[in-house]
Amino acid sequence: MFTFAKCSTKTLIFMKRFRHLFLPIILFSISPFVMFAQNITGKVTNAKTGETLPGVSIVIKGSNGGTTTDVDGNYKIQSSQGSTLVFSYVGFMSKEVTVGNQSQLNVSLEEDAKNLSEVVVTALGIKKDAKKLGYATSTITSDALSQNRQPNFMNSLQGKVAGVNVQGMGTGPGGSSKIRIRGQSSITGQNSPLIVINGVPVDNTNFGANQNNAGSDASIGVRGGGGVFSDGGDGLSSINPDDIESMTILKGATAAALYGSRAKDGVIMITTKSKGEGKGLGVSYNSNFTSEKALDFTDYQYEYGQGENGVRPTSANPTSGQWSFGEKFAPGMTQVLFDGVTVPYEPIKNRYDLFYRRGQNWTNTVSLSGSDTKGGFNLSMSNMDSKGIIANNSFNRKTINLGLTYNLSKKLSINSSMNYSNEKNTNPPNIANQDNSIPTSVSVMANSMPWDLLDAKKYDAQGNEFVYSRFRNRTNPYFVLAEQFHNISRDRMFGNIALKYQLTDWLALQGRVGQDYWSRDEDYNNFPTGQASLGPAPAGFVNGRYTQEARRFREINKDLLLSGNKEFGNIGLDFSLGGNQMYRRSDLNSTQVVDFVVRDKYTIMNGRVKDPIYDLQERAVNSVYGSAEISYKGFLFLNATARNDWFSTLSPANRSILYPSISGSFVFSQAMKNSPDWLTFGKLRLAYAEVGSDLDVAPYSNSLFYGINSNLFAGQPLGSSQGTTVPNPNLKPMSVAEKEAGIELKLFDNKVGLDLAVYNKITTDQIVSAQISDASGFVSTLINSGQSRTRGFEWLLSLNPVNRGGFKWDINFNGSYNKTKLLSLLTDTPGERITTGTHIFNGELRQVVGQELGQLYGFGFRRDDKGNKVFGANGLPLRTPDQISFGSALPNWVGGITNSFSYKGVSLSALVDFSLGGKMLSGTNFNLVRHGLHKMSLEGRDTGGVVGVGVNDKGEVNTVKAPVQAYWEVVRSQALVEPVIYNSGFWKLRQITLGYDLSKFIPKNIPVNNVRLSVVSNNVLMLKKWVPNIDPDSFGFTSDNIVGLESTGVPTTRSIGFNLNVKF
Amino acid sequence: MKKVFKYISISVMALFATSCDKGFDEMNIKEIAITGIDPAFILNQAIINTSPTTSTAIYEMTIVQQMVSPNSGVLTGANFNQDNRALLDPMWTRYYRTVIRNTKDIISQVKDKSDRSNLYQMTRIVQAYAFMVMTDSFGDIPYSEAGLAYISANFKPKYDSQEAIYTDLVKELTEASAALSASGKIETADILYGGDITKWKKLGYSLLLRAGMRLSEVSPDKAKSIVATAASGGVMSQNSENFVVKHDANYQNPNGGMLNSTEANNWYLAAPFVNQLKSTNDPRLKSIAVRYVGAASGPQQSADKANRDPAVQTGMPMGYDNGTIPAVAKAAGLASFYDYSQADRTRIVKTTAPQHLVTASQTQLLLAEAVQRGYITGNASEYYAKGITLHMQQMADHDASMAISQADIDKYITENPFQASKALEQIGVQYWISSFLNGPEAFANFRRTGFPKLTPNPYPLKDIKGEFINRLTYQNSEISVNSENVKAAIARMGADNLDTKVWWDK
Repeated sequence: MFTFAKCSTKTLIFMKRFRHLFLPIILFSISPFVMFAQNITGKVTNAKTGETLPGVSIVIKGSNGGTTTDVDGNYKIQSSQGSTLVFSYVGFMSKEVTVGNQSQLNVSLEEDAKNLSEVVVTALGIKKDAKKLGYATSTITSDALSQNRQPNFMNSLQGKVAGVNVQGMGTGPGGSSKIRIRGQSSITGQNSPLIVINGVPVDNTNFGANQNNAGSDASIGVRGGGGVFSDGGDGLSSINPDDIESMTILKGATAAALYGSRAKDGVIMITTKSKGEGKGLGVSYNSNFTSEKALDFTDYQYEYGQGENGVRPTSANPTSGQWSFGEKFAPGMTQVLFDGVTVPYEPIKNRYDLFYRRGQNWTNTVSLSGSDTKGGFNLSMSNMDSKGIIANNSFNRKTINLGLTYNLSKKLSINSSMNYSNEKNTNPPNIANQDNSIPTSVSVMANSMPWDLLDAKKYDAQGNEFVYSRFRNRTNPYFVLAEQFHNISRDRMFGNIALKYQLTDWLALQGRVGQDYWSRDEDYNNFPTGQASLGPAPAGFVNGRYTQEARRFREINKDLLLSGNKEFGNIGLDFSLGGNQMYRRSDLNSTQVVDFVVRDKYTIMNGRVKDPIYDLQERAVNSVYGSAEISYKGFLFLNATARNDWFSTLSPANRSILYPSISGSFVFSQAMKNSPDWLTFGKLRLAYAEVGSDLDVAPYSNSLFYGINSNLFAGQPLGSSQGTTVPNPNLKPMSVAEKEAGIELKLFDNKVGLDLAVYNKITTDQIVSAQISDASGFVSTLINSGQSRTRGFEWLLSLNPVNRGGFKWDINFNGSYNKTKLLSLLTDTPGERITTGTHIFNGELRQVVGQELGQLYGFGFRRDDKGNKVFGANGLPLRTPDQISFGSALPNWVGGITNSFSYKGVSLSALVDFSLGGKMLSGTNFNLVRHGLHKMSLEGRDTGGVVGVGVNDKGEVNTVKAPVQAYWEVVRSQALVEPVIYNSGFWKLRQITLGYDLSKFIPKNIPVNNVRLSVVSNNVLMLKKWVPNIDPDSFGFTSDNIVGLESTGVPTTRSIGFNLNVKF
Repeated sequence: MKKVFKYISISVMALFATSCDKGFDEMNIKEIAITGIDPAFILNQAIINTSPTTSTAIYEMTIVQQMVSPNSGVLTGANFNQDNRALLDPMWTRYYRTVIRNTKDIISQVKDKSDRSNLYQMTRIVQAYAFMVMTDSFGDIPYSEAGLAYISANFKPKYDSQEAIYTDLVKELTEASAALSASGKIETADILYGGDITKWKKLGYSLLLRAGMRLSEVSPDKAKSIVATAASGGVMSQNSENFVVKHDANYQNPNGGMLNSTEANNWYLAAPFVNQLKSTNDPRLKSIAVRYVGAASGPQQSADKANRDPAVQTGMPMGYDNGTIPAVAKAAGLASFYDYSQADRTRIVKTTAPQHLVTASQTQLLLAEAVQRGYITGNASEYYAKGITLHMQQMADHDASMAISQADIDKYITENPFQASKALEQIGVQYWISSFLNGPEAFANFRRTGFPKLTPNPYPLKDIKGEFINRLTYQNSEISVNSENVKAAIARMGADNLDTKVWWDK
């Protein structure tokens, strides 16, 4: 008798292809006595490969006696002569053998291509037959992640999985990615899924650029201190996609319910390789190279050049550097820049080409694997080198991954994986900010600025930044490039060891311990010495700011799992019981110094003022959980789970929380006596679960702490209470109750496949980080309140229109619709609202009762009853008295369409993805409007002023001509952001992959088994977008719940390259 | 191989055997953090944050025509008589988050502790100062419910009318000044006066005097009785008693920081201010001003071009932007607008410049006005002369090279004698000079007295209907977050624009 727990080790031995795992369906019946019994032993093997098959069910036809094969494929059964043994195993055709007088009966089973059953890794690493599941999951093969890859491998999932929205951030190769499963449920907290590797959660701390973000991991985020707003990456960037065997996404609450308080946003389950594919030793080599180039979506005006108020710089003063409200270009005109340099006054249209270089990514992975009947291993080493499009930005990652699986005895098996990575992220660009930000400077530089001159004149005679603009904080991008640095290096080790002991033939106990540990060293000069925007240092010192930080993080998970499986006639019972202890600790040592004794010597010792910080956070969660599944005749399944978590971060009264789930699955195609021919497979699912989120209540959020300033003043200490969020001792984690229903159909002999899911989730006890009045002394407060409802559906339609003569065409169309409505905050009064994020300039993101989540608010044009714009006596547009809603920033429709073709070893696939239904406040366009680069700002220039179409405050037609520059600067001075609100949707040709199997060209005498070469391209073509000048997909803010508030990031890139995979 | 696995198995078991020693309750106690400090240190924090922010240069100092920038964008404000709300946030956030939050915290901790009575009174005085600056600038503001987010979970404080605020400020200042006692604990950690009770009392009564005088137009009777109380309590009469934040390299003067970094080349002394000093041969001009003669651009404002001779100083006229000012500069014989006089960023507005908030000079001038108005008896002329003398002597606080000799002071007073017939104007002008770089106070006194008589800024593209800006507008986030209370304030006070007058401004 087998258990699932046991199988989870053993099936690895029998995985047939690296993308599929097969699990036995276990049948068992009790047959205490068989007359005239004789002992029969034997071995069951795969007819094709000769591998032994464990877990094969053997029953005596007509009786209910039977057994299964052991790990080595051996069985033993008592049977009488003449009776028939039925051998059945999932994915194979059953075989009936009549017993003669032999005592040895070896059987080989043929694979059944038609009846393959998928095995899915579910919560806690438990593998299950997909047909039993009462909830939606998606499995991604390693090919999808490794062939056409990106530095952060999650970004290569864009558009590939129904209900999953992945967004790259436009923050450089070491940057993080933003993943949303079934939309956003939390108003102000975290919405990122749990990452589980080989059954054990790992850390996915995001070091993103989180300006103005109320809900980030502020306590362990970048310290900043001015000048640094870069994306330091996340926990997924340490994973090498070549090590991934498969990835399962648990989308709904029910799927993730066994993770209880960590399951709110779904789970990404990654299984890494732990043994070779065949017997013996194997070596494989994979090389992936791509070259990338900035996508230039700028569509600026090139009619009027640098200057302000219609005047071009004709003498040393005043140069704006970044304003393009000058004169109309005409041949022969000149301008005076850099305090006296005369250059032609002409448009320069290819700024991206002039500034950004070609980036490249190169990953090489070698892996060595081995396996025998008792287990195996997989050892891989990988090096990834990425060069960003900004000349000093690079990311290097070295990983070593070791996976092991071994049966120590018939009862005891061990499974382990270890991953070590060393990452160096050099100069991640500053984004989403005005000061010190290369992308912002490049984006808004005046359209007649000669870039070679900007480079040549980055230093003045003293070696400081040459003041080229009256806006001294708009740092010359070449100066930042040369003088500012930011180094991040991380060593990370995560892995786990599991031991499994088969107590009886139907009961197994597994113990597992996993740890994720990393240390991260970081240093950066927030402000380089000599930067123009920096004030002078006291006499004897040079100015500048430098920060050095060291962090350590540790998460330990220990769990025990007792699992059993028994069948009673038509009824099958699976159950598991377990417990988990989670402990997490993070430490931060950080010292910042201001002003230096020796110029350009960035060290702590060289600093004048030293400001050290030490911070520590600890938390623990203890849990017990259990699940039970009852099956009837292999087509009706009912599954229930429960988990209770106890939190260290909560008050004793709120500490214990129970998370239940129940789900059912009905395979009606199997249940029907006469299912129609066209119906290959059909299943109905129903599920309900309650889960939560443990991250919303940060440790120590119950207390107010005090701090003493690092410097005395007049010889005396200064201090005050710390933090901008009001402490609340009575918080509890938010909870999500989700209902889900689904149908899965395979029709016309698998030519058509359809998987539909609909869900409705109610999120309650939202931890609302509400912005409060500054006059209260604090900025925000955390309260358990608020309820939101997310409704959505997702689909996966797969079609196989052509499959003949070796030519195969597959279409995969996945997508989702998702809408979250806020039902209440403190009360359920419609219109009640909180502000959850403010834009770097103007405009904000609010959550409003009765409306869809993520409402973009800002001041719009004031209009009269007839809808005419109203202008002031000075001709400038007036703004609305209050901020108005421009709609929700959250996209409703997200998905992708993949077309794949294969013919005689050649395969071609193309992915088109889309995101529709959201709004954005574009900070880049905001700057372009007020800087006079946006085409919108051409209005009125030829006529010496803008006469706004509308009325004055007396209701008369407006005739006042307002100066052009002042007219467009109202986006800033009046916070009138309506002109820069856009639809954030897009349709993109995301990926093209052309692969060719070169194996057949390999001479037999060369020990190479398999060679595959793919040509890949990513971000191929923008098919449709609504926002000018930028890619709506590149967003700057990695902040967890700030959407729609765009601010200039690194331009997105188009990459072209190849992937070579060789197996020896 | 099998052996290796066995060892691994044993170590896994060993890991399970160990568990965290820390219990749940202990784990959520942050042992490395401080849960309380001596509230005297918190008062120090509040005091240092009373220095006004850079927004006061963009609004208050420009409204009273002492400084001006021709540039738009982040510097758009009173130079163009326009509402640029994002720039008004800093003062609001700095005062409420770092002054009032701290003073309310101290008060909640020491109010009932008799041994810290002096600290309690000192805190009330600092808090009253902060609230007075805020209400003078904005009108109705959160007062009675402000700063209580942690103490009593009040997240959206209501706005109190300015009248009610002044009533309570007067009560606070009167009670606190009277209750300060030399026999109580002396708060030696105090960065302002080292706990000197006499000086604190003088600050309290000087502020009370300021509050009383503020009501001279709206309620002369009240003003009179308050001023009498203050004057009899004892007010500042020497510079050592000044409420001044003596910034250092670690705690820099916000305006000094701005004028030495991003906006170094963008701010100029305004013509009305320079002309006033020049026309009266005011010795303060050579301490305040510098002109980079011949500078054709920002980078050319170099030390070798610096000229501090009062005779060459030229203030930038009001009413121009950087498109129109070059022609005006050229017509005035200047190389460019970078050639106008600036407040000397190496001396009076250096990064470590002291910030004077309540001074003996201002106090003596207010006494002169109080005598003139008949609120108190005394010699207005003497108070007037003393007010001028103290301000001139105060120059040396910034830089020894700025010291003005007694002979120069006497000469100025002789040449510009006090005339009873023009007393209010003379006092108003001197108060204006004396409050240079203290924008909020200069702005308040200008609105109340109407002195000096300034010509309205002629910039064409103004947002205001009147001649001058009368108040500052609420911050955008307050309108968004605390909208019900803001609306109630607007209903009571008038529209939230630059035109509406505050209660005491009649």
